[in-house]
Amino acid sequence: MSIDAERGQRPAGSASYQEIQAAPEFQQLKRSLRRFVFPMTVAFLAWYLLYVLMSAYARGFMGHQLLGNINVAYVFGLLQFVSTFVIAWIYARYADKHLDPLADTLRAEIEGGTR
Amino acid sequence: MPYAVVAVILVTLGTVGIGIYGLRLARTTSDFLVASRSVSPVWNASAISGEYLSAASFLGVAGLVLAYGADMLWYPVGFVAGYLVLLLMVAAPLRRSGAYTVPDFAEIRLGSPGVRRLASVLVVAIGWLYLVPQLQGAGLTLRTVTGAPAWAGAVLVAVVVTVNVAGGGMRSATFVQAFQYWLKLTAITVPAIFLVLAWQADGRPDPAAATPPVFRAATTVHLDAGVRVDVAEPVQVQVRGRGPLLLTTGRHDLAAGTTLVFPAGSAVPHLHGLTATNGTTWARPLSGAGGLEHPLYATYALALATFLGTMGLPHVLIRFYTNPDGRSARRTTLAVLALLGAFYLLPALYGALGRLYTPQLLLTGRTDAVVLALPGTLIGGVGGHLLEALLVAGAFAAFLSTSSGLLVSTAGVLVQDVLRGSVRDFRRAAVVAGAVPLGVALLATGRPVGQVVGLAFAVAASSFCPLLVLGIWWRGLTPPGAAAGLMAGGGLSAAAVLLTLTGTVRHGWPAALLAQPAAWTVPVAFAVMVGVSLATRRRIPLDVGRTMLALHAPEELGLTTRR
Repeated sequence: MSIDAERGQRPAGSASYQEIQAAPEFQQLKRSLRRFVFPMTVAFLAWYLLYVLMSAYARGFMGHQLLGNINVAYVFGLLQFVSTFVIAWIYARYADKHLDPLADTLRAEIEGGTR
Repeated sequence: MPYAVVAVILVTLGTVGIGIYGLRLARTTSDFLVASRSVSPVWNASAISGEYLSAASFLGVAGLVLAYGADMLWYPVGFVAGYLVLLLMVAAPLRRSGAYTVPDFAEIRLGSPGVRRLASVLVVAIGWLYLVPQLQGAGLTLRTVTGAPAWAGAVLVAVVVTVNVAGGGMRSATFVQAFQYWLKLTAITVPAIFLVLAWQADGRPDPAAATPPVFRAATTVHLDAGVRVDVAEPVQVQVRGRGPLLLTTGRHDLAAGTTLVFPAGSAVPHLHGLTATNGTTWARPLSGAGGLEHPLYATYALALATFLGTMGLPHVLIRFYTNPDGRSARRTTLAVLALLGAFYLLPALYGALGRLYTPQLLLTGRTDAVVLALPGTLIGGVGGHLLEALLVAGAFAAFLSTSSGLLVSTAGVLVQDVLRGSVRDFRRAAVVAGAVPLGVALLATGRPVGQVVGLAFAVAASSFCPLLVLGIWWRGLTPPGAAAGLMAGGGLSAAAVLLTLTGTVRHGWPAALLAQPAAWTVPVAFAVMVGVSLATRRRIPLDVGRTMLALHAPEELGLTTRR
């Protein structure tokens, strides 16, 4: 189970690192991923922290009764659950739509030996 | 009580039975560890959720809500959201690295046996910190429903899980965990429906009514351990065998073995350290209900610990290898978020009903038992006993599944870094990995399970989160930087945990900072890791370009280090 022993071994026929690193498709793939992941992570953390801030400093608004005992804070809280799922779903769609095709193109070109 | 005993026996036999079924399929060390990457997304999502929903989720959250109110809802929110951070920042590159565990990742990325050993120590520490409350929860559950001594439940769970893991490894664990998710969801949903119906029939009393908790009916409280309580309003109680007694306002020590009968409508004396809170305050976020100090800080710190700690939990990471490819890993994560979200809507309901119907738990301090105690009080009779048995089954499913996941991971790290990898040694490692937390669980006094599990998240967030995030997204990380960051973040948060669990510091800012350390230990860990790495720039691994490419290139290209 030594890792070092296997790190040197690459599957036969796979492209060299320099080739892949240099491929415009790979650079594009990296950019597409980062463009999604970093803003999304920041936005999602900000959304959660907003809830805490509002609970602390906008109590009147958060305590506003909407329906019976249900106030804004509870709806907001439930939305936190929902938003977690929605963001993950958007990511899965984004990856299927934008990242996987790029990866496939890259793979086809490298395996086809066109570069 | 026999129904509950039958439930414990059935869940235990079911776990062992499915384990034996899986055992026939397990062949190699790779099978033992990650089930040969051949598990379908639905099975896998159920298994991940089954393993993740621990005693803290099944019992702990409801207990914390009962005692401390709305702020405690951050526990379930954070438990779910942590998976999202894991999915976005870590899951795919870590899969491609071929690392099963954080120590593997440290070695692949940094090529340093020293950092690997440090990470191994932290995995074992986090695993044990997480296992102890599971075992204590088992003790509390068996004691609540059968009156068995507290060690009995802990020993039962530890032995069953150790034997099962040593015998079947991960393959059997996958089947067991998936089965247990559905058992847990059923076990918490069905009683909740009946409890809500009973609450409707009772005239829908408001759990957030403006008064502090009161005994709605005359209530008999038996103390099997001595407690110190604060009495807010004088109350005339009947002491069984001793006659009437006036509990005056102020502090009282009640001896073990005492049985008290409180009259209907009297205010509930609270365990010393828990503050009686009126319903309005209890239901309002950041109100400091229950005597929680500095709630705004505590909430931020808890959110940070759960969001960033999930990625560092030993039993969570390893699960991402049981998907055949990246796309099914994403599908699995989506399903996990849905399954966890569905489950977490319910514990808060139990906490709220507990404030109405089982407020005596605020006196005994056993708030973790609220989920188990409700059916007997609110419904009663045979129906109440059957629902209680179902909840006990769910609780035991929670102890068994989370403990097996933790044990597999902890034993996996022990076998790779302490012993040499072979099936026989994996079994020996499993025994060691189970025995130590059992010993601690039997010796240490119980704290709320949700709180202790939250501390395990804090340690993971302060050590493995910086290592993984910087390791994956920043070329400049060096072995000395990683080691210094792990020691600073892991060491500080572990020290905070020890000081909190031993109750050394109890009041004011120091206590708040130690009880929820993540808000300062996570930034310290990141800063130290980045700072020391920048100061030791010459130690950047020579093959960093190659490693980073393997982490970020599509896995179809065959760059992944597979084993």
